[in-house]
Amino acid sequence: MTASPYPPRTGIAAAACLTAAVLLHVLASRSLSAQGAPGNEALYIRSGEVVKRLALSFDALLADVYWIRAVQYFGRTRLETGAGKSYDQLYPLLDITTTLDPQFNIAYRFGAVFLSEAYPNGPGQPAAAIALLEKGFGANPTRWQYVQDIGFVYYWWLRDYVSAARSFQRAAAVPGAPAWLGPLAAVTLTKGGDRAGARVLWEQMIRTGEHEYLRRTAEHRLVQLRVLDELDVLNHRLARLHAETGRVQTSWAPLAARGWISHDPPVDPAGVPYVIDPATGLASVSPKSPFYPLPVDTAPTSWPAVRPPS
Amino acid sequence: MPPAIQTEQLTKDFAVGFWRTRPRRALDALTLDVASGEVFGFLGPNGAGKTTTLKLLMQLLFPTSGRALILGRPAGDLSVRRRIGFLPEQPYFYDYLTAEELLEYFASLFGCPRSERRARTARLLDEVGIGSERRLALRKLSKGMIQRVGLAQALVNAPEVVFLDEPMSGLDPLGRRDIRSLVLRLRDRGCTVFFSSHILSDAEALCGRVGILARGRLVACGRLSEMLAGDVRGWELIVSGMTAETLAPFAGRLTSTARIAEGRHALEFPRTTAPEALIADLASAGARVVSLTPVHPTLEEYFVEQVGRGGAAQRGE
Amino acid sequence: MSGRIIGLVAGAVFRESVRDRVLYNLVAFALLLIGASLLLAQLTAGQDVKIVKDLGLSAMSVFGLFIAIFIGIGLVSKEVERRTIYSLLAKPVRRSELVAGKYAGLVLTVLVNLAVMGAMVYVVLAWLSWGQPAEVGRSWDAPATDPRLLVAMFLVFVQLTLVIAIALFFSTFASPLLAAAFTAALFIAGHFTADLQHLGSVVKSPAVALMSKGLYHVLPDFALFDVKAAVVHGQPIAPNRVALAVGYVVLYSGGLLGLAVLIFSRRDFK
Repeated sequence: MTASPYPPRTGIAAAACLTAAVLLHVLASRSLSAQGAPGNEALYIRSGEVVKRLALSFDALLADVYWIRAVQYFGRTRLETGAGKSYDQLYPLLDITTTLDPQFNIAYRFGAVFLSEAYPNGPGQPAAAIALLEKGFGANPTRWQYVQDIGFVYYWWLRDYVSAARSFQRAAAVPGAPAWLGPLAAVTLTKGGDRAGARVLWEQMIRTGEHEYLRRTAEHRLVQLRVLDELDVLNHRLARLHAETGRVQTSWAPLAARGWISHDPPVDPAGVPYVIDPATGLASVSPKSPFYPLPVDTAPTSWPAVRPPS
Repeated sequence: MPPAIQTEQLTKDFAVGFWRTRPRRALDALTLDVASGEVFGFLGPNGAGKTTTLKLLMQLLFPTSGRALILGRPAGDLSVRRRIGFLPEQPYFYDYLTAEELLEYFASLFGCPRSERRARTARLLDEVGIGSERRLALRKLSKGMIQRVGLAQALVNAPEVVFLDEPMSGLDPLGRRDIRSLVLRLRDRGCTVFFSSHILSDAEALCGRVGILARGRLVACGRLSEMLAGDVRGWELIVSGMTAETLAPFAGRLTSTARIAEGRHALEFPRTTAPEALIADLASAGARVVSLTPVHPTLEEYFVEQVGRGGAAQRGE
Repeated sequence: MSGRIIGLVAGAVFRESVRDRVLYNLVAFALLLIGASLLLAQLTAGQDVKIVKDLGLSAMSVFGLFIAIFIGIGLVSKEVERRTIYSLLAKPVRRSELVAGKYAGLVLTVLVNLAVMGAMVYVVLAWLSWGQPAEVGRSWDAPATDPRLLVAMFLVFVQLTLVIAIALFFSTFASPLLAAAFTAALFIAGHFTADLQHLGSVVKSPAVALMSKGLYHVLPDFALFDVKAAVVHGQPIAPNRVALAVGYVVLYSGGLLGLAVLIFSRRDFK
């Protein structure tokens, strides 16, 4: 087309403006997310049912959106270092996600993992996790995995071995459930509270976990149990030393001097040194370690009994 | 003095087809001049490219090649637009405005000061024949009224050149007569009028020169009288003193006979017959000649012929 | 470009919008909603001020959006479809002046409408707080007639000017229906861009993550500058945030309008 009255000048100016806008946006999003976007997670509508009705026919899409938000909320809150941080939006977000899409498998399973994580790495709401999983099982009565997960939560976080065993039995009763769930229920009843029993649980999860994330979580737990074992050994040696010297130990040097530890300082499987609490003289895992905090119930709370050297 | 309107090889192709591969030539190398103060009729059947030409002149379309000049400057120039007026085909204006408001709005775009706008608007609306309807919203007006408003808005800046696309469309005979006299008044004021139409009688009544467009090509252009004069179809002879009986023997040499008044007959005979011989024979039969007039083709016949010929040329015959 | 001509075209747009019955229906609906929030507020003890603020701001945003889209689309698309543009373009008006004038006219329309709705919100809030004893007032996160609410309303307006620019841009080459659809789609997408940014954390493929991150930055972001929640809860809004929002919208709108002028200037009106 000839005779168009506008030189490319306008086009260049327009392109420059748009590029500048995009660049500004890149800068802005970086600086604003560092500050923490104020109140963007204020959920006006906390009820899943209401959102579902408002979503018209875009339920599944909106479920994805809320799932992304839940994940991002969980991750971001975890990274916060301030005191008094709160995860209180997490359950509503997961509830809305699963109301919008009742078949959203990972929302139930991962969501339960998120919810049951102890504070400060998570909200420490195992009851909410169970509620979520029950909701999932209600909508999907063939998914025995949800009931199995409920069992895990009872076992690991609530230390309620009877309820855990009952959940495993419930799961075993679901048509299509694998054969080892029955024996698992039995083991739970007899060995509940025992590290060995817990080990069986997690090994089972690793063998059958349908998602890598769940398998990795189980592996993590297994390593935590190993850490507990290592700490038992270290604390036993520290106790012997205390009995011998009558003094509370504050460093690893004396142990190393006697050849009781191969490494000074001894390190956990992640390579982070174990620390000794100066007040109690007990060894524990460093707060900087990825295994912190350890599950308390299967850890010793007092001095192991040690016979004084004869 | 340069021509008021000038086109040189003005061509417009439209891309048709989904992939835009086949260009359709809507206007092919149009070259014409319109002198200042002329009334030029741009004629052609529907789809010939008349509206396309007008849009190219208004720069609503951009030419594929060639150029158009108005008052010596490129068409579409801002300075040109100050001095011209345009009435689009089947115009449609802002529903929600009244005729007065529309004209005042357009007048303001020309920089007409507020004090003068009202007076000019009132005068124009009078001139095109809009009375109390001028205060009604435009959506309430009939098609004919809208056409008149359209003409008024084309004249709001007292233009030197006016472009009218089918100005008579939608008007009843009274309206057509009004518009016709308005155009003649414009001409008398020295305004150049370029109008397109497919109503030939209007062109015959108004135009000095015409251009005939067929299928994108200019097939004829020139003074109306010359175009039609050169071609004598036959003769019309008005005689008195004859009766049907006395005329009967001549029937073979005549194409038609009509009694127009008591004792008067209008006789038509073809070109091939020499008038002198026939008159001599009629005279000896007792006829007295009242008038002898050559018969030219009507513009319509000429038009159809030219368009047909133009079509044949395009088909390569 | 002549400011005078732009002003005249803007005035014509404003006049058209004032006479457009669609507008009255929308505004009436909005006012009704704001009034109804009063009723809602009675039902939730102590939360009434927050609800009125929330609902008021949301209503302004949504109805301002409808106005921007329905009238914005008509600005060019409808005019071209109905051929009213032919007689206008024959006048000494540059095509760029036409685009700028349409934009200015619609911005003015939206501003006036938002002002009316905003005033109504404040009236309702003042009425609410008038009858309350001091202790109740102290329990609110923010005062009822909080001047900071104006900042939120201002940002609503700023966002809408971007929507208008988008609507005008699509209007220059698409039919009215398509232009309305594209604008609405872009508006909705622009609110979910934050989720787009984090898509990478839930999706395995790095290509998808990169693409979604790219889209996040390129698409107009309406959520980044949303301070409604902060204002309602009485949290402070950094002035640089407002400046950032204004700057972003000015640049983005400017770019879109430039493109609109470019497209419109080269367009054949068949």
